[in-house]
Amino acid sequence: MGRRKFFTFISLFGISFTLGILMVILSFLQSELGANKPLTKKDDFVLISHLALKKTHFDTIINIDTIFEKGIAVYDSTFDYKKSGTSMTQSNFSHKLIKNYFNDLPSAEMYTAFNDDTTSDLYIDGVKLSLSTMFADENYWNVFDHEISAPVIVLSSKTAQEYFGQVTNVVGKEIEIEEKTYEVIGVFKHLGKFVPFASPDAVLPYSLEPTNSYSTFYFGSYEAMLVKTKNSSSKDLKEEIVEASKKIPIDHPDNEYNYNEPEVIPTTYMEGFAQNIYYDKDPEKSYRFAKWIVLSILIFFILLPTLNLINLNTSRILDRSSEIGVRKAFGAHQGNIIYQFIVENIVQTFIGGILGLGLAVLIIKILNNGGYLGDARLVLYPKFFIYSFLATLFFGILSGFLPALRMSKLQIVKALKDAKI
Amino acid sequence: MIHLQNITKVYRTKTIETTALNNIDLDVPKGQFLSIMGPSGCGKSTLLNIIGLLDEPSNGMIKVDGKQITNYTSRATAKFRNEKLGFIFQSFHLIPDLNVIDNVELPLLYRSISSKKRKQMAAEALESVGLANRKHHFPSQLSGGQKQRVAIARAIVGKPEIILADEPTGNLDSVMGDEVMEILNKLNKDFGTTIIMVTHDERMAKKTDRLVRLYDGTQVA
Repeated sequence: MGRRKFFTFISLFGISFTLGILMVILSFLQSELGANKPLTKKDDFVLISHLALKKTHFDTIINIDTIFEKGIAVYDSTFDYKKSGTSMTQSNFSHKLIKNYFNDLPSAEMYTAFNDDTTSDLYIDGVKLSLSTMFADENYWNVFDHEISAPVIVLSSKTAQEYFGQVTNVVGKEIEIEEKTYEVIGVFKHLGKFVPFASPDAVLPYSLEPTNSYSTFYFGSYEAMLVKTKNSSSKDLKEEIVEASKKIPIDHPDNEYNYNEPEVIPTTYMEGFAQNIYYDKDPEKSYRFAKWIVLSILIFFILLPTLNLINLNTSRILDRSSEIGVRKAFGAHQGNIIYQFIVENIVQTFIGGILGLGLAVLIIKILNNGGYLGDARLVLYPKFFIYSFLATLFFGILSGFLPALRMSKLQIVKALKDAKI
Repeated sequence: MIHLQNITKVYRTKTIETTALNNIDLDVPKGQFLSIMGPSGCGKSTLLNIIGLLDEPSNGMIKVDGKQITNYTSRATAKFRNEKLGFIFQSFHLIPDLNVIDNVELPLLYRSISSKKRKQMAAEALESVGLANRKHHFPSQLSGGQKQRVAIARAIVGKPEIILADEPTGNLDSVMGDEVMEILNKLNKDFGTTIIMVTHDERMAKKTDRLVRLYDGTQVA
């Protein structure tokens, strides 16, 4: 390593940079997608966001064929009664529908219904402030475990700061939103970033939702997050949701267009996330596809420097062809040569790993201290170091093995003739 | 000890075929110090490489101690080279990253010998060539003659029965060349090591037991 300083520097740089960035990416993914507050139960979540009412149309299809019998045209008509099309309407649920049909599923430990699609205006010293307000039931605070400073919450810390100029001592104070006065009964920590369903500026009891809000028996503006029990699987809960949705009556007067088939497609939290990357009606398919995309990007990210390292190692090993020739002349067989270069690569990867760890710590510290990711805090988990290190080690060995294999087959005479030593 | 029969080496390219060795028959008894001479390109080094299993003949057979070694597997060939042969090259071929003692112990790395024992054997080999005080030097810190003596120590550390030396004095001045020849002769006389040496130098060849001359790949004497 010491003799070929430039090669060593480039190799170590490649290994440590790849490893460092990989650890930062994994920390970021963990911060964004991990089971952190307020999504500690995220892996148990099953979301129902939309109800679809479908109607299948049937019609009589007439087929007229002309055939010839003894040279005379004969008309042969057939009549079929079959599916001719489907019409559909879909929207969020009404609060009542969720409460009536999805509140008592055996595999669900709890659920919350909420509407996080409302913008409300308030004024601070005559300046309009738009708040993303959410109407939710009290279970919202059990499903999403925000860091709270009071048992029942209305304002995010960000809104409290903006409105009152402080976060503490605001409980009991009044806030005017949309010309209505509310009493602040708590403050929850604002996340500083967008987290689906969990980053509103203010949460109001659903009972305070304006009476003019759109709502029918079927539709409204609510979604529900159900939390599966410890002993059941997401699949169980999803099946129960689908079964429960079949019990939604279709003979209600609000079903003006006589839709005959209610449909609810439940998704887990990660499937919902995956549908933002690649939408497929089947959420599992979306999740599988998104997972492969993320995995491919990560593999590509490691593979690219690996290919460079293979190239670099080939040059480095080629430079040592005479040494290989000498070693083989004195009794080294192919396995000895491969072993030697792999051990050298492992040592190099270990050094690169330590440098990479230092680099990751440095980058994370800079990102956290500089607030470049909002309030998001990246944490370097030991398991990510181990995963990243193992992945780098694997590709490190691979990048050493291929050139070593090639060089170990080198003819001794040729190696000695090309000798630089 | 070494029996060569009809050894032929032909180098082929798409357009040309060159015969480097043509039907060489040679017997080298145990303990003989043999030198091979001939003009450049006559096939001396090719013959030495073939005897040392560093290269394969196009045709012919080599027997050592009655065993045909030309059909060994690559692993068996490596073992044979490690245990039976020692090489000395004109340009020394010391590994610059390794110090003198590490260079010398290199053949022992491929045997099941403890590190301590390896170091001890390497130190003894260095002592026998008069370089015990240069153990921790690197090749770049040595003169040509010293480098060749290190190379000799490396060739003899495993106590091989045969030493193959390819112009071992070719890069040395006459004084250093004589020193090297003295060491080789001592090895031959004291331990009965069979030595085959390729040389251009008639004076050095005269110090050996037997001389074989090659011309255009054919043995002429």
